[in-house]
Amino acid sequence: MDFLKKAYKFIIEWEERLAGITLVASVLVVMAGAVGRIIGYPLGWSMDMATFLFAWTVFFAADAAWRDNKHVSLDILVRLLPKRAQLIVHMCNHVIIGIFLALLIRYGISMSWITRFRTYQGIPGFSYTWATITVPIGSTLLLITAVLKLRDLIAEYRAARADTVDPKQSIQG
Amino acid sequence: MTLVLILFFVFLLAGMPVAFAIGIAGFAFFLQESYLPLTMPVQLILSETQAFALLAIPMFVFAGNLMNETGITKRLMEFASVLTGHMHGGIAQVSVVLSTLMGGVSGSAIADASMQSRILGPSMTARGYARGYSAAVNGFTGLITIAIPPSIGLVLYGSIGEVSVGRLLAGGMVPGLLMALAFGTTVSITARKKGYMPEREKRAPAKDVGRTFMSSIWAMLFPIFLLVTLRGGLLVPSEAGAMAAVYAVVVGALIYREMDWKGFWRATKASVGDTGTIMLLIALSALVSYAIKWEMIPQTLSGFLLGISDNPTVITAVILLFLLFFGMFMDSTVMILLLTSILVPVIKTLGINPVFFGVVMVLSCAIGLLTPPVGISMYSVCSIMECSVGEYLREGWPFLVAVLLVVVLLVLFPQLVLFLPNLLFG
Amino acid sequence: FAAKYTLRFNHVLGPNHPYHAGLEKWAERVKERTNGELEILVFHSAQLGVEEDILEQMRQGVPVGQNTDSARMGNYIPEIAVMNAPYFVDSIEEVIKVNDLPVVQEWKQRLADEFGFQVLSIQWVQGFRHFMTNKPISKPADLAGQRIRTAPAPIWQESVRALGATPIAMNFGEMYTAIQQGAIEGAELVYDNIFDQSLHEVLDYVNETGHFLLINFEVISAQWFKSLPEEYQKILVEECDRAGLEVSYQIQENTEALKKRVAEAGMTIHTDIDIAAFKEAGLAAYEKMGLLEVRDMIYEQLGKVN
Ligand code: NA
Ligand code: NA
Repeated sequence: MDFLKKAYKFIIEWEERLAGITLVASVLVVMAGAVGRIIGYPLGWSMDMATFLFAWTVFFAADAAWRDNKHVSLDILVRLLPKRAQLIVHMCNHVIIGIFLALLIRYGISMSWITRFRTYQGIPGFSYTWATITVPIGSTLLLITAVLKLRDLIAEYRAARADTVDPKQSIQG
Repeated sequence: MTLVLILFFVFLLAGMPVAFAIGIAGFAFFLQESYLPLTMPVQLILSETQAFALLAIPMFVFAGNLMNETGITKRLMEFASVLTGHMHGGIAQVSVVLSTLMGGVSGSAIADASMQSRILGPSMTARGYARGYSAAVNGFTGLITIAIPPSIGLVLYGSIGEVSVGRLLAGGMVPGLLMALAFGTTVSITARKKGYMPEREKRAPAKDVGRTFMSSIWAMLFPIFLLVTLRGGLLVPSEAGAMAAVYAVVVGALIYREMDWKGFWRATKASVGDTGTIMLLIALSALVSYAIKWEMIPQTLSGFLLGISDNPTVITAVILLFLLFFGMFMDSTVMILLLTSILVPVIKTLGINPVFFGVVMVLSCAIGLLTPPVGISMYSVCSIMECSVGEYLREGWPFLVAVLLVVVLLVLFPQLVLFLPNLLFG
Repeated sequence: FAAKYTLRFNHVLGPNHPYHAGLEKWAERVKERTNGELEILVFHSAQLGVEEDILEQMRQGVPVGQNTDSARMGNYIPEIAVMNAPYFVDSIEEVIKVNDLPVVQEWKQRLADEFGFQVLSIQWVQGFRHFMTNKPISKPADLAGQRIRTAPAPIWQESVRALGATPIAMNFGEMYTAIQQGAIEGAELVYDNIFDQSLHEVLDYVNETGHFLLINFEVISAQWFKSLPEEYQKILVEECDRAGLEVSYQIQENTEALKKRVAEAGMTIHTDIDIAAFKEAGLAAYEKMGLLEVRDMIYEQLGKVN
């Protein structure tokens, strides 16, 4: 368990860093492509390289953002419910999201296999699969986040229930 | 398709993050149509990240965040207050001018509204402004940001609808300035009524105006820099965005000398957060967009709209009313993502200019950010200003009227939008 | 009521391109001959997605199709790219002959069996491509230093390079402004493209090099194709070939009228060109891509002298 915790800490630390690095790299590649064309040395690979890097940025960044609760949601209706009902709705949401992500992982692996011969047009010999695997890998990261959020929700629900039974035993905070 | 819509609204109302609500609803379409393999959603999601044109969004976001690290905001604020301090409702006017100036750096109405509520809000309250009034001023003036280049909404519309992004960005300029004028006038009238006094008795001396102008000139050159590089196809928008990011670093590190590695990394991190949220939404909405095309819904809608009228102005008005209505309930980005591919073919058959339509469409979708029951900008300014939505509405309705008047003006005189793109791009 | 079988067919051209009308005609005839059981929905402007994605969907049996070219099919069977090399064929009649060759039939079979692509027709010919620039081009050396927009696939790039120019991959719609701004000096295009993109405003010369006769492939999912009754399979292929040839000849005829319009619009049609020198230069592309052998084999089967 301790190893898993360490591994996860490592992942979340590097996830944001890698997202940042690939973002900066794609800025530089796009700029190199533009400058190259203007001065008469067009780089055939720059557009494809930029979008390839960006695929990695997107999925790392999407997970980093979810862990920071940055994804927009609409909770005005849910907030009208009693606390415990709210938590149940959120738990359901996370279970559904988890199933969706698991399907994306399953079929993302298939898709990565299918695209193995497809290459980037501008980078001959560079397999498109290096981009395709961002979907199953990104979905795995998101799935971990979903599971951890679900775990927190369950803990909160238990605490809320304990609250109503005996306020003194509350472990909230 | 009906199932997709139902699921989307159920998940949305259940408080699921919008990106997942739309992604899962779209996934259901592929479960429903048995001959479509489930590898297709994976492919479609990935494809969104592989469109070079969409790279303009993270590039503009990154450039804006880097610009913020140059200390430009405080310079712009100083300039704005020197310009407007002698007017009634001085700080409210600062908010108008600041949004106009910041428009060239930021492409997001929500970010602009919440940032200015934070920095201007407390002094407004201290000077006796009603909280709802401050919330409304900072919230509505954020709309100026999405019209003045760069604009994420216009990049999205242009990439999806295959309309020149350069022309669209140029097309947003005049409407942005018109909104500034409309909001400035609204502040003048309302502040006089409410007795919000000027900050000082006389105009600031020309010397101060000149000094603060010069110190913030690099931010004001930003949108002009973008339009010039896009003009005549020297750069495509994504490249202009990359150049803008480099420009911001040069301004921050060499000219203002306020940006260090720490600041650079802060801007990068902020951009990662922004990119993650907007791109997940864009990528996952690809599934519903595909379902819409697969079912040939644009073709059906086109027939329906042509049945109403063949007058372009009438049709534009009908579509905009529809957008304003749905904007009350839906996120503006989602609306642009889903509706652009439906509406652009329709308006093209009707002979409506797609650049003009893009500008008014993106603006109309964004107005929903400020209106109940669902308005992200509204909620964020109200929570920062600690006021109720009722209070915000009581104080803010003149601003809603002002921006709607601007939209009406644009619909009646499309040349207001098209004048600058035609001048720049021929 | 809904048809029993529905095919969704995607192409990147606009709704006013002759191909769109041609594909619609094909759809109409197929529907008629199958009593409405087999319906084809045509999507213009790549509405269904990018070509590579559609090709992958076909391989998985999704009922979709795509108008594509030999360069793209060359990603799967490299020899096929030869049809996109400089001066490979000279006329629509020759394309019809190429279509009947055993080697081409064998390629089609392999595309279906190994890669899941059913080629319905290769008889959709878009016409000759010419270099369009701001100076007259008479020989390959005149193209030296000229940045010319072309498609990004390797065979296109190598061919344009072999003919003497610097190839630039760029979106079609960005050409006009790129020329105006001087980011590129010209493009290689068919006559149809000129007014479509208003290029007469920024370019002075059409140099009739005719270096490619652009052959398109109409491809659908082989898995789905096999699921159709044999009768319907036959109808689908026959009508596709028929509509393709009609459009190809129609485009060829229209070109004469277009030339007149182009000249009236102020462009000079430059015809004093050393085609032999261009053909000679074009050989480098065959060599670079390893396509000389297959070209010679096809020429032998055609009884064609180069
Ligand atoms: Na403001
Ligand atoms: Na902006």
